[in-house]
Amino acid sequence: MILATMLQLTNVRKAFGPTVAVDGLSLSIRQGEVFGLLGPNGAGKTTTVNMAVGLLKPDQGTIELDGAGSPDRPDVRGKIGVATQALALYEDLTGDENLSFFGKLQGLTGRKLAERVAWALEFVALSDRRRDSVKTYSGGMKRRLNIAVAVIHDPPLLLLDEPTVGVDPQSRNAIFENILALRKQGRTVVYTTHYMEEAQRLCDRVGIIDHGRLLALDTVDRLITAHGGKSILLAERTSGEVRVETDNPLAELLRLQKEGPLQRFRVERPNLERVFLHLTGRELRDA
Amino acid sequence: MNAIMALATKDLRLLIRDKAGFFFTFFFPLLYAVFFGAIFSGPGTSATGMKIVVVDEDGTEGSKKFIRELNDSPELDVEVADRQAATDRVRRGQRVGYVVLPKGFGKARGRVFGGERVKIETGVDPARKAEAGMLQGILTKYMYQGIQDAFANPDKMREQVNESLVEVQNAQDMDPAAKATLQWFLPMIDRFMRELPTGQSANRGWQTFDLESKDVVVQRGGPKNSYEISFPQGIIWGVMGCAAGFGISLVDERTKGTLVRLRIAPIGRMHILAGKALACLLTTIAAPVALLLLAVVAFGVRPDSWPLLGVAVVSVALCFVGIMMLLSVLGKTERSAAGIGWAVLIVMAMIGGGMIPLFVMPAWMQTMSHASPVKWSILAMEGAIWRNFSIAEMALPCGILLAVGAVCFAIGTHAFRWTVEG
Repeated sequence: MILATMLQLTNVRKAFGPTVAVDGLSLSIRQGEVFGLLGPNGAGKTTTVNMAVGLLKPDQGTIELDGAGSPDRPDVRGKIGVATQALALYEDLTGDENLSFFGKLQGLTGRKLAERVAWALEFVALSDRRRDSVKTYSGGMKRRLNIAVAVIHDPPLLLLDEPTVGVDPQSRNAIFENILALRKQGRTVVYTTHYMEEAQRLCDRVGIIDHGRLLALDTVDRLITAHGGKSILLAERTSGEVRVETDNPLAELLRLQKEGPLQRFRVERPNLERVFLHLTGRELRDA
Repeated sequence: MNAIMALATKDLRLLIRDKAGFFFTFFFPLLYAVFFGAIFSGPGTSATGMKIVVVDEDGTEGSKKFIRELNDSPELDVEVADRQAATDRVRRGQRVGYVVLPKGFGKARGRVFGGERVKIETGVDPARKAEAGMLQGILTKYMYQGIQDAFANPDKMREQVNESLVEVQNAQDMDPAAKATLQWFLPMIDRFMRELPTGQSANRGWQTFDLESKDVVVQRGGPKNSYEISFPQGIIWGVMGCAAGFGISLVDERTKGTLVRLRIAPIGRMHILAGKALACLLTTIAAPVALLLLAVVAFGVRPDSWPLLGVAVVSVALCFVGIMMLLSVLGKTERSAAGIGWAVLIVMAMIGGGMIPLFVMPAWMQTMSHASPVKWSILAMEGAIWRNFSIAEMALPCGILLAVGAVCFAIGTHAFRWTVEG
């Protein structure tokens, strides 16, 4: 089945003075998918998101949303929900007031607005704190409210820019649940992160970018198959450790077992970290 | 329009929750107006006179009468004590000064033609030189009151004339020519006083005028009280606080990322600025209105023209909305915007009469004040409150304010940094 395109970036380039942030990037985000934009800090992820929502004008190339046109246009921007990397909330307002305000900017009024505010608060599990000032929220709660603001107007496309930065594991899991729920509802999600395990867990497809260029784009499994190398079987015997690179760890384990008793073993499957290492020659976290 | 209203409502809500911002917009201007109004309001009806001690070494009916006159005067608050106690009271700062009435004072006071001079001694706290001068003036006034009384009473005058004539006749060391003149002149006065008609008019003696004191209500030509000067100044501080606060809040929106969220919303850039400007405008109108109502209710301020005052307040508000927009582009961070913004505003206030009234400034500074919107703001409000400006006279300050506001708004919106870092 061929899915329709929700967001199309074609040969997009953006430079800040001599620094090229995005260099000839072309992406096609499909409707209903969770698309991960994976790369180290400074890779050009946020610049890409900012261009996708009309905050920045590309120096070159085009961006089109759902066949409706460029996000420069306010009516096109209304189809996008954004959770920015910086917490874009009014700390002296309550959660309820923040959502109402941003909902009004999206054209919601009256009963519809009240319903959407209630839904968004429920969605991010903040209903019981709705009347509290945001400055009393924990970091994780603010991140969740940031996502609630992004979904208040029920947009078909969501851009989540590093939505788990600085949150506790519990809130991180809650955010993952939110994203998976949105996918279930048919929303398209573009998720930028430099945490490969998040991309691996959430994303249908992943684009890996570095220095503003797209290095690879595919499903997580295919990327790993193509660029992650073989699994590594680490087995321990009384005589010492055995390390074997293999496409079939189970068969290799049985073979080693026949050669002699094993005290313990471990299999290291290839992951996106190794994909990034393979593509760039650098560790993702150190890049 | 809904988006602009939503933006303005949000900013007003944030202002109300920002205790410091609320204080500088509404309460600081009130404190300023009341404080300076009270300072320049004068002693008022309940104020007491200058506190002095009188030492009565004469102890005659004449000296006691003089002390009663001093005590009844509005200028003085008199206490009688002996010399030692009086000196102590002054030294301790409890009284401004002391006055010693020497022996012979009662007789000497009111004597018109010669006789031995008496010396009235005063002692004043050296830290209060100005009051020393005032005290001498007040004593002189009441001393001459005695002479005036003598002239106003023919019988008393004749008694004095005859006493003086005896003294002149007995004087051994007087210049013969002067002696002869007085021996001719004094009997003439005695005769004149004796031949004055009897009855009420006779008691007027030589008094050539009566003074009648009436409470006068000032009709035109000046402020009716000091609060009519201090409230416009206080209001300017509130308006400047608004402009600074909203200007900084725009920088705050940019640095904290909420501006990005606003820009992503399906509204135009001018909606965002219009929302901010509307909130600033409403606040810069609300603060003066609240202060003026309080000034009228509690401080006796009576504007000459409410409609013109409304025009002045709106003109001032529009001017400072423009200035707010300009201030918002002067700094990259909240701190730098606040620093630069307040520096600009304080200079405006300094040269524009926001700190001290323009009329006490030197001429060159009054000329310089034309460059400050604060001057025109105060002039516009004073024009409607007590200067009795006509519509034509109001056109100049209000026109200047609107022009300054428009230019600043245009520059501010043009220079406002919309871009975000990549």
